[in-house]
This record gives sequence, structure tokens and C-alpha cells, in this order.
Amino acid sequence: MLYKDIIKELTHIVGKENITTSKEDLICYSYDATNQKFLPDAVVFPKNADEISLILKLANKEGFHVVPRGAGSGFSGGSLPVEGGVVVSLERMNKIMKIDADNLIAIVEPGVVTGELQWAVEDLGLFYPPDPSSLKFCTIGGNVAECAGGPRAVKYGVTKDYVLGLEVVLPTGEIVNTGTQTLKGVVGYDLTKLMVGSEGTLGIVTKIILKLLPLPEATKTILAVFSDMRDAAATVSRIISSRIIPSTLEFMDKNSISCVDDYANMGLPADVEALLLIEVDGDRELIEKQAEGIKKICLDNMAREVRVAGDKREVKQLWQIRRAISPSLAKLKPNKINEDIVVPRSKIPDAIIGVREIAKKYNLTNANFGHAGDGNIHVNIMIDKHVPEGFNQGSDKAEFLRAEKAVKEIFELVLGLGGTISGEHGIGISKMPYIGMELSPTAIDVMKKIKQVLDPKGVLNPGKIFPTL
Amino acid sequence: MKTLKQFADEINKCVLCGTCRSVCPTFGVVQREPASARGKVALCGAYLNKEIELSDVFIKQMNECVQCMACKTACPNDVNVPDIILAARAEVAKERGLPFAKSFIFKNILDSERFMPAAMKFASKLQGLLFKGVPEESGLHRRFPLPLIDEMRLVPQLAERFFLEARSQKPEDIGNIPLPTPSTPLPPPAGDRRSQKSEVRSQNNNSRPRIGFFAGCLINYMLPNIGEACLKVLERAGASVIVPLDQHCCGMPVLGNGDIETAKSLALKNLEAFEKYELDYITTACATCGDGLKRRFKELLGDEYPERVNAFSSKVRDITELLVNELQISTPNSQLPTPNSIVTYHDPCHLRRGQGIADEPRELIEMSGAKLKEMSHPCRCCGLGGSFNITNYDFSMEINRSKAEDIKNTGADIVATACPGCMIQIKDGLHRLGADTKVVHVVELLLHSPSP
Repeated sequence: MLYKDIIKELTHIVGKENITTSKEDLICYSYDATNQKFLPDAVVFPKNADEISLILKLANKEGFHVVPRGAGSGFSGGSLPVEGGVVVSLERMNKIMKIDADNLIAIVEPGVVTGELQWAVEDLGLFYPPDPSSLKFCTIGGNVAECAGGPRAVKYGVTKDYVLGLEVVLPTGEIVNTGTQTLKGVVGYDLTKLMVGSEGTLGIVTKIILKLLPLPEATKTILAVFSDMRDAAATVSRIISSRIIPSTLEFMDKNSISCVDDYANMGLPADVEALLLIEVDGDRELIEKQAEGIKKICLDNMAREVRVAGDKREVKQLWQIRRAISPSLAKLKPNKINEDIVVPRSKIPDAIIGVREIAKKYNLTNANFGHAGDGNIHVNIMIDKHVPEGFNQGSDKAEFLRAEKAVKEIFELVLGLGGTISGEHGIGISKMPYIGMELSPTAIDVMKKIKQVLDPKGVLNPGKIFPTL
Repeated sequence: MKTLKQFADEINKCVLCGTCRSVCPTFGVVQREPASARGKVALCGAYLNKEIELSDVFIKQMNECVQCMACKTACPNDVNVPDIILAARAEVAKERGLPFAKSFIFKNILDSERFMPAAMKFASKLQGLLFKGVPEESGLHRRFPLPLIDEMRLVPQLAERFFLEARSQKPEDIGNIPLPTPSTPLPPPAGDRRSQKSEVRSQNNNSRPRIGFFAGCLINYMLPNIGEACLKVLERAGASVIVPLDQHCCGMPVLGNGDIETAKSLALKNLEAFEKYELDYITTACATCGDGLKRRFKELLGDEYPERVNAFSSKVRDITELLVNELQISTPNSQLPTPNSIVTYHDPCHLRRGQGIADEPRELIEMSGAKLKEMSHPCRCCGLGGSFNITNYDFSMEINRSKAEDIKNTGADIVATACPGCMIQIKDGLHRLGADTKVVHVVELLLHSPSP
């Protein structure tokens, strides 16, 4: 079938208002937060699983590629149409179908913005914990596809810990329901877990059954200031081993903090090496006790200063430092290579010291911050990709090549410490070259076979996760 | 003004993270990427890379932005999306020309001291034929079916007597055009005002602070009462107010449509109108005009008249800012129509994000004796977006719907804001919702004093 006829068929499925092939629209669906662009051939906006099923059946018949997309806010390229084809935007499927306060579950469509679901359930005294920093604009569908995490993962886990069941359109177009609406369920293989984190390569999720929790009564926010980064890292390990599980345990090193303007305005000492932002939540009396315990551990581990936020304004101020880091890093160098490595929590000091040594060895600017409580550190190597006109390109190119070498060495370090190369962003296209460092050939082979069974013609989201070479 | 090409670095600063999707009001309605700030920046980048032309789709996307600046504030990399979009509109105006009607109105009516008041006067007389007044609302409904105007629409009413016209006919009143020569000694402040404002006067060599009042089109032609309220409140605060009669439209609606030349011409005429007087401050009660006078005038005239425009712009204060920070009023001598009224406040985009003013209007509300009750999203755009409301009325009201609901949900008796544009838009939105919340300018809350 010709391109024109395929468009005609697709138009027939979704209606002419819900398909576009204009260059301008295609450009707007060519990118995600990786800042890379691949132009699709068409974008469709289906309204339900049946339409998606017809689209995928057509794709199998005619042999075109289909790439699902939520908000396009991913960091690994999961929604990029790297080999062209039809982007299936789930922006229209954005309804919260049910919040069941009696059974503590919510049923949602994939296009629901994560933050909006959180606010909706919080109004009812309920809690959906996974909180990727993009929660105000990323979608639940994308969270499921990438198994998104966030600061609260240290206590509450990640997206996969909340998905009870799914409605999925398989790459061949069949609609299948996985999992249950109940907390327990062991009938057959766990297809839900297989789908969560499959990066949009094994099916298009069209309905999600989520587990909810009761909303914690209160939270307490603490900031600890350290003169030695190793003390801060050791404090993280000590807090965890003392059996207090904070709801947030964020680490920030000197380079990260130095970019944040607000920091200087808060009357905090200038010559710090690291900060820890710690939050506990739960029963009001219990968290007072926990906060005291954490304060003591910080001071025992050489914290120079420990601040406990007294009111909401102070909480906001403390979080402001943490939230301002990622955007402010551009002050060090315009471009960042951001890796979301994870190590066992007791190995955090080794990981951070090791990363610094690698950065020093390759003469690179490096800033580390992130969810230390679960061992997930955002390692940023700052580079300057921009080469001014007439500038000798050699030196900048060299910096990029050094950065690539450093990344590989950091991954070796992390794997040596018993960690993983991606905690919450996924492989997509960004980490495709490195997957073999962590997974054995057998493991990769099993995964490829699963993909082959579900998507024999390879129509769904091609060019992701597994290197073709 | 920077051209779109000169914004190339700014466009490259966008890392396509998508944060703006959470705040962009046009995306909020359309729920498709091209409507988002990120989509528009990507399109501008694609145009500069010669991947696309200034196509109709491109122009439509650039026009569908309300310039609320929410994206710029939320952006982790401080990408100035609103100005990129303005530059794109200017590029369209330059390369493709403005539609004839727009171009004719901008150049021949808006930019003319004779025709603009005359045209508005004509319209003011005509409106009675087409529209009927709505009781207890300052607005109009159509009398019979009219193209482009639906039945529910509350059309803002043109004043019978324009603000500047009234000024010119009352030379004895405050707000006239006294003392064009700086050397003329100022009259001493009258009676009880002396004690109220002594500090300020002493800073001004024992003279009353001299304030130039910039009305702006909406106050001049539609809501002159706000202008009168400002003059009275300023007078009470011990200021001497000067209203230059040869002031013009601030030019922001024109600039919003990409017509830089007319905007420049208007800015220069306004500079000339106010330069004649020795002024301590220039004030306005319109958030968009204020943002324009402070910021855009410098961009428009900075290259040619850097000193003049800096002298002008550095004197500009929003009326709320002037009253609280410069004149430091503490007792407005006011009494609300209903004592203990609950007032909610809407932050105009061009006041909060454009000028960074959020606390001052709230202080004035509390000073008035009213109880301030915040709505859930006070800084969310009302959807007016200048002429966006005229060219995309339904879209504009769709954006307004969440604002109107938010206001209604507070249960407040009054919604106050600090921009006549927002007032008109919010009135229309509340009317559609069937809510009877009163819409006022913050300054009006300070006005209702018992007569002496």
C-alpha cells in the first residue's frame, strides 16, 4: 500500500481531526527531553484501545513502524521515532476513570499527567507516591513504560510497585488485560511486570490500575551541611542502617550547590562540600522522633549545621536549593551528560569518590546530586558542545571524546560496586551502547526472544534498547 | 527589538524538557504539543534552519499564544519564549505583511492623535444600536444576531465620555495639566493631607511628588472610572497628578501583532508627551501598559534614544507599586460598600511575571479593610492575551473558564485585579458561568470613602 493509502486508512480509524502529516506538526512530535529529533511520517491521536488495535493491525499488514508517546519528557529517547513511522500520541487519552477510596485503587488512562493524579487522590486523603521530577507534565503512561522513580523511591518504591494491572494493545493489535484489581494475584506469568519498564517496545498501555496509599499525616524537612563530602555520603549509609527510612534523602555536592543563587541568600556557610536534604513523613509524633534521630546521626557524622524547617515557607526554601540545581548546572558548562546510576547504599561514598577521580583524570567538570537514599545518583559531566564559528574545533571535540570515555569508566565503576547503569531513565537510545556491560549475552538474548514473540514483524518502537550490531 | 534570527541562541537554550506543558494555557486547552511553548520554540528553530516556511500553520501557532509569560517563569533554562514568539510575529509581519484591516487600523487610527479618539467616539455612539446594556453589569449584550458575537458574550461597553476627554474639559479639577515649566513653584498640599504624606514630600524638597498618569486605551475608552479612581487616590496620598492629554496607546497590542514600526512610533510619542513635565514618577493602572512602558519601550527605543527612554522607563511604576512603595500609603481612608467583604485577587500576567509585582496589590486589598481569600491559581492567565481575545474569542474564553471557576469556588464577593484587560475578560467569564462576583480594580477598593 502506498503512503497515501495508509494515511487514508489511518484517517478512517481515528477521524480526520485526529491525524496530521503537516511538516510543522511532525516537527512538534519529533523530539523528547533528550533534545534529539527524528521526524515521524504521521501523528495520530487515538481515543481508545480499539483504535490503537486497528492502527497496529494495519501496521503489521502494511509494515510501517508505530511509536507510542506521552508527554515526550523522557531522558532516554523512548518516544522518539528513530526509524520514522507513525507516532501514536496518547494526549487525548487523559482521563482519570476511577478513584476507588474503599479499595485504594485508581484506574487511569495513559495520558493522565502524574501530578494531576496525585493532586486528585490527595484531595481524598489518598497518596500516589512515585514522584519523578517531571511530575507536573509527564504522563502515567510514560511512567509505566519507563518505570519512573523519584526522590520518594527510598521509602515508597517506584512505578512498578504501584501498577496492579494493565490494559495493553500488543504489537500485533490484540488487546490484553494483565494483572488484577486486587493486591494479590499469581495467576500465570506476571505480564504486568513485563510491560512496566518495557519502554514502549512490547505494547501500548491503554489503561492502568494503580495501587494507592493513605496520605501521610505530616512531613518534616531537614537540611544538613557538611565540610567533607565523604561525611555526607557516610551519613546516608548510617541513616539507612539505623533503620530509619526517610521519605526523601537527597544528596548535593559542592559543584551542584555552587550554581544555585538562592543558596547564598539563605545564610548557609559558603565553603560547604555537600548537603543532604532529608524528609520523613507519617504520624506526627513519630516523625518528630525520627527527625531528632536523623539530626543526631548527621551531627555524629560531622555535619556542620543541621536545619529543621519550621514552617511551609522554610520547607519550600530548602527544596528550592535542590530543585534549582538541575537547571542551574548550565552555569558550569552549557551541556550536560546526565547518567542516573545506582549503587548499593553502603557504596555511595565509594561511588562518589570514584566518579570524582574519573572526572579529574579526564579533566572534566562534574557535578553529582540526586536520590542518595536509594543509591541513585545523578552523575553530570558538564561539557561545551557549542563551537563558536571560526573556533578551533579540536579542543571541544576532544572534551566530548574524553567525556564519552569517562562515562564508560563510570559505568565500569558502578557495576563493580554491584550497581546498575540506569535507575529510572531507561535505556532507549541513550544507553543502548552500554547495555552489554551490565547484561549477559544470554539475558539480552532472552529479552530479544520475548520481543520477537510479541512483535514478530518489529513494528512497535524499533531501534530501542538493543544495539542492532 | 531583536529579530527572530537574533534569538537563535535563545532558541538553542531550550533543551526540550517539556516543563512548559504544565503551565502553558493554550496547551492546557488544546492538549497537543504544537500548542505548547516547547512546540512553538521548536517551530521557530525549524524555521531558522529553513526546514519550514512562514506557513499558515506556523503563523497560526505563533498567534495562538496569550503572552502570559508562564512558560518563561517555569522554564529551568530561562528561555524567553514569549519574546521568541513576538519576534516570530514580527518576522511574519515583515515577510508576509499584516492583514490589511490590522495594518490600516494600526497605522492610520491607533497611531493618530485625531482619528483614534474620533473612531472610538463613533463606535461609542454606534454601540447603542447594536447592543443592549445588561443590568448591574458594565457590559453589553447584542440586540440581534451579529457576526462573530455569540449570544452569551458580554461585550465591554465604550464609555460615553472618555477619560482623557473628560480631563481636557475639567481644567480646574485635579489631574489637569498644570505647571508645564519645572521652575513654577508647587502649591502647598492641602490641609489634612500634609500630615499623611510628610515623609515623601520631604524627600522631594518639601514638594508634593509629581506623578504623570498614563491612562492606556482600556481605561480611556472603556473604564474611565478606574482612571478617575486613581487620580483621587493619588490626590489623597498627597501627590500632584499630571495627565498629559497628548498621550497615546502604549503600543503593546500593535507590538503583539508584530508591527514594530507603529509600536516604536507610539512609544516615541508617549515619551514626548511625558517629557514635557518634570515628573518624579509615571504611573498606570494597566498591567500591560506598565510592562510595556517599563520594559518594551527600552527595547523599542533603546538603540536610538537610550538616555531619553531610560529616564522615562525608570520613572514608571504600577499604581499599586507606587502607592505602597513610593507614596507609602498606610490608611486608604476607605470603606468598602459592604464592610468585611471577602475579596479574591487575580494576578495579571504582565504585573506578576512582567513586572514582578505580587505583594503590593494584596497589601492594598488588606489595607482597604477587606478580607483577602486567595483562589487556587491566582497567577493563571485569564486568557485575554490582548487582541488574542478578538481573533480567537472562543479559545480565549476556554482558557478563562478555569479562572472563572476558580474565582467562583472561593465564594468571594469581589474579585480584584490590577489590569483593566483582565477585568473585562473576567467579567465576561463570570457572566458566562452565571456567577455574580463583582469585578473591580484594586484601586477602586481604596476609593469608597465616606464623603468629608
